[in-house]
Amino acid sequence: MNDFFEIENELRKLRPAQPSPILFERIEEALAEHYWMSAAVDPRWSWPRPPWRTPYNWSLGLATAAVLVLFAAVNMERHQERGEKIAESSSASEIRPVLPGSRGENGTARSSFSDKFVPAGATRLVYNTRDEGLQFAPTSGQPLRRLHYQTHETWQWRNPTTGASLRVSYPSEEVVLIPVSGQ
Amino acid sequence: MQNLASHEDWKSCFSEVAPGLLLFARQWVQSAADAEDIVQEAFVKFWRRNHKIENRALLYAAVRSIALDFIRRDSRRARREATALGETDEFIEPQFEFEDDTQRALAEAIDVLPCEQREVLVMKIWNELTFAEIGGALGISQNTAASRYRYALAALRNTLQLK
Repeated sequence: MNDFFEIENELRKLRPAQPSPILFERIEEALAEHYWMSAAVDPRWSWPRPPWRTPYNWSLGLATAAVLVLFAAVNMERHQERGEKIAESSSASEIRPVLPGSRGENGTARSSFSDKFVPAGATRLVYNTRDEGLQFAPTSGQPLRRLHYQTHETWQWRNPTTGASLRVSYPSEEVVLIPVSGQ
Repeated sequence: MQNLASHEDWKSCFSEVAPGLLLFARQWVQSAADAEDIVQEAFVKFWRRNHKIENRALLYAAVRSIALDFIRRDSRRARREATALGETDEFIEPQFEFEDDTQRALAEAIDVLPCEQREVLVMKIWNELTFAEIGGALGISQNTAASRYRYALAALRNTLQLK
């Protein structure tokens, strides 16, 4: 490599063009945007971390699993009550289309499937997680970590026959106590 | 090992690596603005994933990958620009800050190096990566990186001697 000592020195004297000052601003904005998105989930984060390194990732997973179980339970219940009216909106014409030869007792058009709503989705957005520290339950000597979640839940049902949908959204809060084992 | 997970650190890290990164990105794009777009995307991605700045090979690999994607995405526009440039006086923003004609000649000689030699040269001289790191970033062996570097230096020396 000594053969090239001189040319290497010449090359090192060449200075690459400097980045424009606006590049720093652009990067700052891009990083800040990501920072605020992460801060909305957990305001204590000093800087975004990958999901597998977040301390609440596993508890978030548990919460999601719980919602899925609830969703499955509701779905099963709906299947058992087949033929019964489950949900109905005030706009009858929207969920009960007129079908020839299917008139009810009061003369209104009726379909055996038109008034059935089936669960179509459930989302639970955790927008804030607060670690409220350790506490001791009176019945147990084991310390418990208290986590406070603020969430926004949305449930959706859909009538497969008419295409009508029903959506319910509401804010909710949840406190989770997690046993902490010391070593 | 320095952890990048703080807000202010990125500025000092980026100030240090930015000129070399931009020069590296310029191996694929002629416009300084495009190179800055590529570097921005790569650095932000790198920083968000909380990588350590010591893992420079990953940063350069990211720049390279984004630059290649950029070329693919932008090939249509590049063709239009190439046609337009062919019709007017071609102006390519300089990659270096020249102090004299010797340096200008050296920069011109770098421009005509084969791409695989030029990228190794840029990573080695202006970014101070080891051959192992260069090999990691480019997906080649350390020996191949070293030999491309030697070929590049030999070619530059010959070109300058001829001039």
